[in-house]
Amino acid sequence: MGALGHFLERQGIATTGISLVREHTETIRPPRALWVTFELGRPLGIPDDPGFQRRVLRAAAELLDRTDGPLIADYPENVAEATDFTGWACPINLAPASVDTLAAEIDRLATWHDQAVARTGRTTIGVSGLDMPAAGALLSSALQGDLPMAQALKEAVDDLRAYYLESASAFPDPGSPAMRKAWLWDETRFGKALLDLQPKLAASADPQHKILANLTLIPATERHRLAKT
Amino acid sequence: MVKRLSDMPEVEANHLRRIECPTYEDTPALAGKPLRERRVALISTAGLHKRGDRPFRPGDGSYRVIPAETPARDLVMSHISVNFDRTGFQQDHNVAFPIDRLRELVAEGVVGSMASVHYSFMGAFPPAAAEPHAQHLAGLLKQDGVDAALLVPV
Repeated sequence: MGALGHFLERQGIATTGISLVREHTETIRPPRALWVTFELGRPLGIPDDPGFQRRVLRAAAELLDRTDGPLIADYPENVAEATDFTGWACPINLAPASVDTLAAEIDRLATWHDQAVARTGRTTIGVSGLDMPAAGALLSSALQGDLPMAQALKEAVDDLRAYYLESASAFPDPGSPAMRKAWLWDETRFGKALLDLQPKLAASADPQHKILANLTLIPATERHRLAKT
Repeated sequence: MVKRLSDMPEVEANHLRRIECPTYEDTPALAGKPLRERRVALISTAGLHKRGDRPFRPGDGSYRVIPAETPARDLVMSHISVNFDRTGFQQDHNVAFPIDRLRELVAEGVVGSMASVHYSFMGAFPPAAAEPHAQHLAGLLKQDGVDAALLVPV
């Protein structure tokens, strides 16, 4: 991110930016940066809080008046810690059963996904161009050993991940985002499928499959699960 | 709350420590008009684009065009990394791409105007792969009358 500050400022466009990882910004030294303590993926801090977001954006924009860069300004507001898992239980039974399938799980979530879309007016699905049953079928066939091109598989998996998490946000008791992510990995066929797929991709001769297996399929925070499968 | 890497869970901190950051000679911060007269573009590195545009791929240093009037329902994210939260963006695009907030700052007179077109890169780019695209982008921004860019990571 900070590299773009150098590239654009050298071409005559003044830049300011948000920094999520102070150590990275201290190394890259872009002309101007506002350091925030928010979770990665949430540079403006809090979803659906326009006032909070506007204060962050304004603080970043106001750095444009300064010419004493490279500078890092510390943003003074923090976001409260997410609540823990206590008391939260998955409201619908998605626990794996011997007769159940990934396809059935995907189908069962459709009505929840409809609820989520009705509430937010949007979905972030749509990178792969596949509908969710087709994305699931691609993942299932990969598990059977028929590995598609890494990029196609990655896009299908990312769309499915969005589908699951958007669907869970519409559950009657959706818990926090951290709980929904834990649900995905702990309780769904989809999470298990990704963990089962990882060693097959890692063993592939295709270097793109290896990148997917080792970097872009399983989040760093969930890789501890691989040893258990 | 995330503070320094030393305050983060070890597995996340280690992931971030492994990311190689480039170093540059200091770039002087340009003087310019006051903020209330500036025309500002958003430049995200969240791997955002309109649904149907080319998804980002590993090593991709190019950008995607997001016209200011793009409805939120048309935005998708194809960043290759799985190591950041996406549920915030799923709930409210402004938490990663604050286009409505920029519009409000313009309406309040804090910012002069906003660009007609905004942009997204995919932050996992090798810097050398992005530099020629960024240089080209600077020319496009000037054509749009833009004199400041607000860089938003993910």
